Amino acid sequence: MSFNLAGKSILIVEDYPAMRKAIRDMLYTLGADIILEADGGVNAINAMAKTSFDVVLCDYNLGAGKNGLQVLEEARYRKLIGNKCVFVIISAEQATGMVLGAMDGKPDEYLAKPFNAQQLSTRLQRNFARKDYLACVEKEIERGNLPKAILNCEKLLAAGDKKMHSQLLKLRAELAISSGDFETASKLYRDILANRELPWARLGLGIIEFQQNHFEQAATIFEQLIKDQPMLMEGYDWLSKAYEGLNNLNDAQAILHRAVDLSPQSILRQKKLAVTADRNGNLDVAEKAYRATVNLGKNSVHKSCSDFAGLAKLYSKTNANDEALKTLKAMRLEYGSSMEAELRAATLETELYKKLGNEEASEEALQKVIDFNNQLGGKIPKDLQLDIVKTCFLTDQHDKAEEILSGLIKTHIDDEGFLDDVRRMQSGIGMDNHSEVLIQKTKQALIATNNRGVALYKQGKYKEALDLFEQAFDSLPDNKTITLNMLKIIIHDLKTGDVSEEKVLRAKSLFKKGRQIGIDPHKLGVLQMELSDVSRQRLAASSS
Amino acid sequence: MKIDTSKSQTLFPTILASTVHDIKNSLGIVLELIRQLASKQQGGESEDFSQLEFEANRINHSLMQLLVMYKIDSNKFSLDIDEYLALDIINEARAQQDVLSKLNSVRMQVDCNDDLLCYCDYPHISNALGTILNNALRYTHTAIFISAGEEDGYLKFCIEDDGQGYPEHLLAADLSDAADMDWVKGNTGLGLYFVAMIAGLHKNNGKTGFVKIDNQSRLGGARFSLFLP
Repeated sequence: MSFNLAGKSILIVEDYPAMRKAIRDMLYTLGADIILEADGGVNAINAMAKTSFDVVLCDYNLGAGKNGLQVLEEARYRKLIGNKCVFVIISAEQATGMVLGAMDGKPDEYLAKPFNAQQLSTRLQRNFARKDYLACVEKEIERGNLPKAILNCEKLLAAGDKKMHSQLLKLRAELAISSGDFETASKLYRDILANRELPWARLGLGIIEFQQNHFEQAATIFEQLIKDQPMLMEGYDWLSKAYEGLNNLNDAQAILHRAVDLSPQSILRQKKLAVTADRNGNLDVAEKAYRATVNLGKNSVHKSCSDFAGLAKLYSKTNANDEALKTLKAMRLEYGSSMEAELRAATLETELYKKLGNEEASEEALQKVIDFNNQLGGKIPKDLQLDIVKTCFLTDQHDKAEEILSGLIKTHIDDEGFLDDVRRMQSGIGMDNHSEVLIQKTKQALIATNNRGVALYKQGKYKEALDLFEQAFDSLPDNKTITLNMLKIIIHDLKTGDVSEEKVLRAKSLFKKGRQIGIDPHKLGVLQMELSDVSRQRLAASSS
Repeated sequence: MKIDTSKSQTLFPTILASTVHDIKNSLGIVLELIRQLASKQQGGESEDFSQLEFEANRINHSLMQLLVMYKIDSNKFSLDIDEYLALDIINEARAQQDVLSKLNSVRMQVDCNDDLLCYCDYPHISNALGTILNNALRYTHTAIFISAGEEDGYLKFCIEDDGQGYPEHLLAADLSDAADMDWVKGNTGLGLYFVAMIAGLHKNNGKTGFVKIDNQSRLGGARFSLFLP
């Protein structure tokens, strides 16, 4: 046999000892000599933290604890496996991919039980060949060098290997989306669809519409897609996002509900359903979904104390105060020393104890909230800050509430969804329209700053424009519009004026900031492509 | 023990999933043990091992067929169509039947261009071909010929052998019609019905997949053809 696994490090993750032995024996017949074994998810993660494996063969059903996909999810999230590692999920059923897929990472391969050495060998060979072939593109994607990844992908496409053609086109289209080049991506998908109706290409077209805020068109595409492909979970996820974009939260909830019924194992999807139903006031659905989220969290890298807090808040809303306190107790058990968890608990307890007439405990909790808030400041997640504001209003700490609230509004003035959360919170405590003046004033200030900056920029006063925006960060920190405008100015300046190392570094740090504050990747991608054009032209100029 | 029927309805999918998982684990171990024992044993018992391997594969295919039927019945089934290499699908089916073909020392010949593309649900089609191949390996004398190519806008997979050929009642049956239970009876018939059903779920541009059987094998036995649109 020409294919040989000698020298490849392989991890078997399987809870059933006899099955582990059977797989190991198969691997021996394929020449494998570095085999490690784990009997469950936790041991698998530990093994991957120590060793960088070439192959991971992981059973989906690992008994109690993490399942195979949760192992993969955590390994990818913590970057325990590189893009060269072939990760195989072994499952009892055929075609589990679509159902389990999306919102969780996808493995390289699904292998159905029972399988023999020859099947394993065929699959591994194919994946090694594919990874080698695509390595020059994947490596650049991992490095974050989009322009180089696109260049290398184009080179492979030009070589014209018919066998890999479709996979390359798919990758090329995804790269085009990441770089905001929707025209190219759309043309690629349409060409593929002209030849054959393939779900991933149809999905891609919908995503392109979504990214351009054409929510209506996106929804139409996704609706048709899930009609044709009722088990394609990604279709449901995107459709719910499109409905959200259309501010149609009821349909968003309904579609998430259908997806969760078909595929209940995804923690992020359950959480999305919980939050959406909560917003819609469907407390029964929200409760069930929050409980599922908390349960799935036990074995997931995506677990969060905000899930417990969400459930406790829900109980508080329905005056199930004991249930709420019980949930917070469970959260403390799970998150022991986490400051965020403690802060979430104390924030809710202030309100709960007050309702129960225990003024002393309520005040004690409130003091904790204020202390923690002062220590953590802006590092606190925005939803929790909003909860703290609510608690402060309810306990007559108006100054503190206004202080935090004004910071929140200024920081998130671009985020309409969050501003709606602010409005909803205020209506909930009988303070309708309380912040409307501040919101409008902040918006106007932002527009004024932008107009002035753009005017300066048009007069060729780049430095003055940049200084103006830099100052605006003082009152509007982490503002996405300003960050994007600054990047545009610097890149335009680099194109037309002198190129200096300092400007390039400044652009790079703004890209980093942009990613941190969550600017749409494709908006940054467009600018990244422009910046790389500048560098290439500069190189060409200096060498001629 | 009293079973709450409303609860047992929601429990059923979970119990079914765990049961299938359990049986598949056992089957996997049985198959690997057969392979190991067979490789240690020389001569005499190879026919018994071959029978064992055939039966174990058959159990597996039946189990999968049941599961797919259950999913179709509960509206949880849909195909996952993508582009694949026809040769990859043939190799997958061959790999699945690798142990049996070695035990039976059947000569296997493949004729398929290495860049021939096929649009289908990979696991279901390679399994379907595996089912047919398992059967062919059981009934052929010395050789099997697997081929793939394009014909009238369909992709056509062919499996031919040099055995006795299909019996008369199967040749006369309408493969897309399970209402005529007579032909569906028996393992070969069940397998064929299932493959025909999976083929029929493949649709493109107004065309539907189908299967054909006859005894026009170039090797002198049975010939199975799968057409995908």
